[in-house]
Amino acid sequence: MKKEKKSRRRYSETMYHLMMLPGMFFLILFSYVPMVGILMAFQDFVPAKGLWGSKFVGLKHFIYMFQLPDIAKIVRNTVTIALGKIIIGTFMAIAFSILLNEIRHKFFKKSVQTIVYLPHFLSWVVLASVVVNMFNLDGSVNQILSAVGMEKINFLGSNKTFQPLIIGTDVWKEFGYNSIVYLAAITSIDPGLHEAAAIDGTSWWKRVWHVTLPGMLPIILLMAAMSLTSILSAGFDQIYNLYSPIVYESGDVLDTYVYRIGLVGRQYSFGSAVGLCRSFVGMILLLTANRLTKKLTDRKIF
Amino acid sequence: MTKLYKRFSAAMLAAVLAFSMTACKADHTKDKEKEPVETENTDSKNEAKDTKSADPFGAYENEITVTVGRQTLQNPKMPEGDTYEDNAYTRWLKDRLNIKITDEFEANGDDYNRQVSLALSAGEIPDMMKVVSQDELIELYENDLIADLTDAYHTYASDYLKEVYASYGDRALNNVTFDGKIIALPGTNADSGPSEVWIRSDWMEQLGITVDEDNNNCITIEELEMVAREFMDKNPGKAENVVGIALIPWLTSGDSDGTFSMNSIAYAMGAFPKTWMKVDGKAVYGSTTQETKNAMVKVAEWFKTGLLDPQLGTRTWDDISALLANGQTGITFGTWHIPDWLLNNVRAMDSKAAFEAYVIEDANGKVNCKHNDATAGYIVVRKGYEYPEAAVKIANLFYDELVNSKALGEKYPEVMKYQADGVDGSVRPFNIEVNSYTSLLDDYSDIKGGVSGEIAIEDARTTESKNVISNIKNYLADPANAEIVDWSKYHSRMKGIALIQSLTESDTFVWLTPIFPQTTQTMETNWANLGKLEEEAFIKMATGAIEVEAGFDQFVKEWYSQGGEQIISEIEEQLK
Repeated sequence: MKKEKKSRRRYSETMYHLMMLPGMFFLILFSYVPMVGILMAFQDFVPAKGLWGSKFVGLKHFIYMFQLPDIAKIVRNTVTIALGKIIIGTFMAIAFSILLNEIRHKFFKKSVQTIVYLPHFLSWVVLASVVVNMFNLDGSVNQILSAVGMEKINFLGSNKTFQPLIIGTDVWKEFGYNSIVYLAAITSIDPGLHEAAAIDGTSWWKRVWHVTLPGMLPIILLMAAMSLTSILSAGFDQIYNLYSPIVYESGDVLDTYVYRIGLVGRQYSFGSAVGLCRSFVGMILLLTANRLTKKLTDRKIF
Repeated sequence: MTKLYKRFSAAMLAAVLAFSMTACKADHTKDKEKEPVETENTDSKNEAKDTKSADPFGAYENEITVTVGRQTLQNPKMPEGDTYEDNAYTRWLKDRLNIKITDEFEANGDDYNRQVSLALSAGEIPDMMKVVSQDELIELYENDLIADLTDAYHTYASDYLKEVYASYGDRALNNVTFDGKIIALPGTNADSGPSEVWIRSDWMEQLGITVDEDNNNCITIEELEMVAREFMDKNPGKAENVVGIALIPWLTSGDSDGTFSMNSIAYAMGAFPKTWMKVDGKAVYGSTTQETKNAMVKVAEWFKTGLLDPQLGTRTWDDISALLANGQTGITFGTWHIPDWLLNNVRAMDSKAAFEAYVIEDANGKVNCKHNDATAGYIVVRKGYEYPEAAVKIANLFYDELVNSKALGEKYPEVMKYQADGVDGSVRPFNIEVNSYTSLLDDYSDIKGGVSGEIAIEDARTTESKNVISNIKNYLADPANAEIVDWSKYHSRMKGIALIQSLTESDTFVWLTPIFPQTTQTMETNWANLGKLEEEAFIKMATGAIEVEAGFDQFVKEWYSQGGEQIISEIEEQLK
C-alpha cells in the first residue's frame, strides 16, 4: 500500500518535470548558452576570427574601463537615476494603490486604473517625442512657465534638470503598472483587521499606517529587493531617446555609454567587459538583498 | 531534485556543444569539396588563356566565370525579374566580353563589411570583390590573398580609364600601390566642395537686405550675422519661435561640406575640425588647433547673443529640417546638393521660397576647402585567379564604354534603359565609382551649355545631365509654378555647383590636402572615447556651459592625455 503511493507520487512528479522541459530548454538556449560570450571580455575580439580565434588579453579591458576618466561620473549617473526611479517609483505606486483601494465606485476605479496603466504599454521611442514636445523651449510646459512670469527652462538641455526629468517621466510611465502588485497585496489583507480597527475608533490615516502598510510590507520589501538588481541599468531606451551630448555629464549612463563605445565604436570586447561588471554588481546586490529580506521578514526570494 | 536539474543541464550543454562542433565540421567538408571543382575549372580555362590579346575590350573566346562579392542596396530600382546576378549590366558583360558573373555573397551596407571580414579571416575570398576600407585592403595584401594587378593595369586599362585616375594626380593610384605594386582598382572619390551657406533670397528681397557687394557670392561672417539678425527681427516667414541659425549637436563635420555643421565658419577662420593634417612634418588633429578655438569663440558668442538656436544641442537633424520647412529659419549650411533632398521640403511648404548659395570668405577674401581622400572602395582580385586582367576589362567596360559610347543604345537598349530609369549603380559588377576629378564641373558645363542652348541636349555627356537640363529649362520657363523637382535641380546646379565653378575659375579656393591615416592600434581602443570627449566639450563651450577660453585648453589637454598623444606618434610612424 505504502509502496504504491510512493511510486504514484514519483510518476506524477516526473510528469511535472517533463512539462518543464521546453522551458528549461529555452532557458538554457537563450540565457546560459550566450554566457559563452563572456569570453569576449577577456579577449581582443574580432568578429571575423570568432570566439575561439580571437586573442586572449586577460583583464586588459577591465583595467582600461577603470582608468577611463568618465567611469566614475557614469556610474554615479546610473546609480542616481536608477535609485531615484526605484525609490520614487515605489513610493508613488504604494500611495496610488492605497488611495485607489479606497474608491468604492467600481466604474470610476476601473477607468482610473486603465488610464494609469496605459503609458506602460507605450514604447519610449514614441513617448520620447511627446516628452520632447512638452519640455523643449517652445513646449507646453515652458509656455505655462512664461505665462506665469517665470523664466523658460531648457529641460532637455540642462544638466540640472535632465535627471529629474528622466526620473519623473519614468515614474509617471510605470507607477500605474507597478501598483498592480500592491493592490493585490492590499486585497489579501484580512478585512477583519480593518473592521476591528474601525470598531476601536481609529482614523483612516491610522488604519493605513497600522494595518495596510504592515500587511503590505513583505511584498514591498520583496519588490524593492528585486529592483535593486537593476540599479546599474537606468533604462537605455528612455535615456537614449532623450539625451544629447549637452547632457552627457548628467545623463550618460552605463547602458548608453556601452552602446556608443561598444557597438557604434565596434569595441565588442570592451562592451562585454562593462556588461559583465554590471551583472556582477547586480548579482552581489541581489544576494545581499535576499539575505536582508530573510533577516527582516523571514521570507526569501529564492 | 537539484541532481536531476544538474544532470539535465549537463546533458543539454553537451548536446549544444556537440551540435556546434558538427556545424564546424560541416563547414570544413564544404571547403574541401570545393577545391577539386576549382582546379578542374582552371584546367579548362588554361586553353582559353592562350587566345587572349592585349585589347582592353577584347572578348574571351571561351566563357570565363568570375565569382564576386557584391555590396548591394536595399532598393536598387531594378526592373522586375532582374537580380544582382542577372541584370542588364551582367548580360551586357556576358555578351560583350564573354564574362559570366556569379555572386559568392551579396550583402547590404555594413553586413557586407562583415562578409568581407569573414572571407578575409577564412583566407577564402571570391575571385573579385569590393573592399570598403583601406585597412582591409592592407590586411588582404599582408596576408598575401590578393593578386598584383600592375601588369594587368598597364597592359589592359583603356586610355580613358588611365586618364580618369590621372586626373587625381598620383593620389588615386598611390592609395593602392604597395611596394611598387598596384594591388587593387580604386574607386575614385572626387572632392565634395565647401559647405555652402544657403539663404532665403525671397526674404532678402522682401526685406531689402543686400550683401555681397562684389557679387562673387563670397560673404563675410559679419554679413551673415547681419542677415540672421534681420531675419530674426523682421520674421519674414511670419513663423512662431523664430531661430537665427540652427546647428546639429555635434557641430563640426569631418566632411568639408558637412550639412548643418559650423564647418563654413571654422574653415573661414582657418580651422579644419575632425581633419588630420601634416603641419611642419608633424601630424596634427584639426579639432585641437588654435584656429578651432577661435571658431568656437565665435560660435559661443553667437549663442550668447541669441543668434544661434537657443535649443542648440537638443535640436536634432529632423528638427532643423522642420525649422527650415516651417519658415522659422532662413539660413542653413550644407553641401551643393541639399536643394535636391532637403531644401525641396521648404519649397513644398512655401511656393515662393528661393535660395541663394554663398560661401564664407576668410580675412584675405579666399575660401578654404579641403581635398577628400582620392579613393573610396577598392576592387581586389584573388591571388592565383587565372584572369586578373578581367577585372581591368570589366572596369574599362563600365567606367569607359558605358559612359562614353554613343552607339550603345542601338545594340543594348536595355542598358540605356537602366541609365534612364535611374537603376542604382550598385547593380554593376563592381560597386565603385570611377569618375574624373573634374566630373562635377564637367557635368556642370554640359548643363550650363544645354540650358543656354550652346549645346544640344543630346550632346550632354551623361544621361543624368540630359535629364537635369530639361528640369532646369522647365523651371526657367515658369519659376513661380515650377514642379518641386525642377526647382531643386535648378538650385542645386545653377546655384550650388555654379558657385563651386565660379570659385574655381576665379582661383578663390585655397585647398588643404589632409592626411588620411590608417586606423592605428590606439585609435581602435580609444577613438570612440576621444570622440565623446570632443563632442561633449564642443557643445558645452558653444552653449556657454563652460568658458571657451579655459575649456578649450582643458579639452586639448585631456585629448592628448587620453590617447591622442599616442595616436599622433603612431600616425607619424605611418608617415615615415
